[in-house]
Amino acid sequence: MKKILAVTACPTGIAHTYMAAEALKKAAEEKNIEIKVETRGAVGVENALTEEDIAEAHAIIIAADTDVDEGRFRGKPVVKASVGEAIKNPGKLLDEALDKKPTSQDYIAEIQKTKAERTAQRTGVYKHLMNGVSYMIPLVAAGGLIIAISFIFGIEAFKEEGTLAAALMDIGGGSAFALMVPVLAGFIAYSIAEKPGLAPGLVGGMLASKIGAGFLGGIIAGFIAGYIAKWLKDAIKLPKNLEGLKPILIIPFLGTLATGLLMIYVVGGPVKAIMDGLTKWLSGLTGANAVILGLILGAMMAFDMGGPVNKAAYTFAVGLLGSEIYGPMAAVMAAGMTPPLGLWLATLLAPKKYTPEEREAGKAAAALGISFITEGAIPFAAADPFRVIPAIMVGSAVTGALSMLFGATLRAPHGGIFVLLIPHAVGNLFMYAVSIIIGTIVTAILVNLLKRPIDVNKV
Amino acid sequence: MKLVEIISKETIDLSLDADDKEECIEKMVEKMVKSGAVKNKDTYLQAVLEREEKGSTGVGFGVAIPHGKSEGVAAPALGFAKLARPIDWHSLDGYPVSIVFLIAVPEEQAGNEHLQILAAIARKLMHEEFRNQLKEAKSPEEVIQVLETI
Repeated sequence: MKKILAVTACPTGIAHTYMAAEALKKAAEEKNIEIKVETRGAVGVENALTEEDIAEAHAIIIAADTDVDEGRFRGKPVVKASVGEAIKNPGKLLDEALDKKPTSQDYIAEIQKTKAERTAQRTGVYKHLMNGVSYMIPLVAAGGLIIAISFIFGIEAFKEEGTLAAALMDIGGGSAFALMVPVLAGFIAYSIAEKPGLAPGLVGGMLASKIGAGFLGGIIAGFIAGYIAKWLKDAIKLPKNLEGLKPILIIPFLGTLATGLLMIYVVGGPVKAIMDGLTKWLSGLTGANAVILGLILGAMMAFDMGGPVNKAAYTFAVGLLGSEIYGPMAAVMAAGMTPPLGLWLATLLAPKKYTPEEREAGKAAAALGISFITEGAIPFAAADPFRVIPAIMVGSAVTGALSMLFGATLRAPHGGIFVLLIPHAVGNLFMYAVSIIIGTIVTAILVNLLKRPIDVNKV
Repeated sequence: MKLVEIISKETIDLSLDADDKEECIEKMVEKMVKSGAVKNKDTYLQAVLEREEKGSTGVGFGVAIPHGKSEGVAAPALGFAKLARPIDWHSLDGYPVSIVFLIAVPEEQAGNEHLQILAAIARKLMHEEFRNQLKEAKSPEEVIQVLETI
């Protein structure tokens, strides 16, 4: 049985609110529909709709002549009417509500909103790091794809000076990739100390890059620069007429100097050693070790679907692109695509285990999955976390491991299925596609094995 | 909280004669003034008519529920009238009105209980059986009896 919710409200809140509520209830009884009506009258809000009610609801009727907060109904179909209409013709409103179908659009909008909310909720170190990463990604994307294009002329073609391949390599590798670590560090520092942090951060990142400390060095440089700049901002007290010099002269000068010296004499060396070790280990990685790394990165991608753990794996892989390590990136993207894709497939394979809303969400998940938006799995995971999350983690781990095992590589930090179409962006393309397909199937089968048939009484 | 605290025989009229809804409302308000529920006739009447302008309170099935919240109201009160001749109320269903509830609520709420009763009556009005019982009531006592079933 479909559950309908309604909210009634009128200007004085003395009579119409309640008559409309009663009319809807009566009509619902006649039609044998489950209904809950929230009344917003002079007495206050009665029979308030809970989040759980809203989650279970098929659609919501708002019968009001005053403003009713609709924000809480996002993602659900809403039928709007005046109180008068609800009193006069409640049956028609119910029919309209029953006819409403949740659309994929609603789900995509909901997921976009969840993503935005998560971004807004980030705090502290994680927020600063993600700020840096988000400014770095476009550079990596542009650089990676332009390098890939240069390979169309042959893998070694760029070595010939004066050729288009060489130019492309200069744009992508020599410039875009060269800016990657400085921008990462600069915008970590910017997030911490705002404008005065940018110069020390960029310079610290540049040094990390020159020293060979890679993205790890860049991250450290960003935090050093940011916190030094912030400390200088708070600690230096100047007479009012000189205050203007602080953000444009004093903090950049002292902050850059301190960050630079720290990078060169303290941090740079050890971090370079770590990066060199990591790079060496990763480039030599084959067989069992590669599979284990793929398993771990894959499981991390699915664990919180776009949350901090997912972003940690993702940042690791993106950072390595700057060190010309492309395998983990491939594993991470593949593993980030399979949770929504697998759930979509699951809704197709066993439609009876899913509500009509979930089947609709499945279609949306497919679209999000091919675009490498792992968040597309969230509506399913939120509804049934203990069955869905383990299943998608296993599926993603399998995909990540296979991608590593087949030696698939990816030069772009994003793009989903569309990046596969760009020549040379993906190494070992065919087996890479196979990894994604296998992971999708594993996810779907596991989810359906774990899922209980839906409770007929509840729906 | 009892219904009798908001309705009295004085505010019940089983054969009210009016040419239009304004006259009907005014006559019912006068009864509330007499019963003591309304202390300032003009301000309350104005509140009711203003509410009418926002949208007809003719809710269909021959029933209208004019109402107003005003400083002119001393205590929450309910008036009831059966009309001698049905009158036009621009009702939601277009039919003329023969049963009128007038609801008076003070600006400063003493408590929500009165409103709860009014809300309950409003809900009951959506049921045909309840309306029929009201239409058939022969005396103010019977009206109160029917209302007390809420």
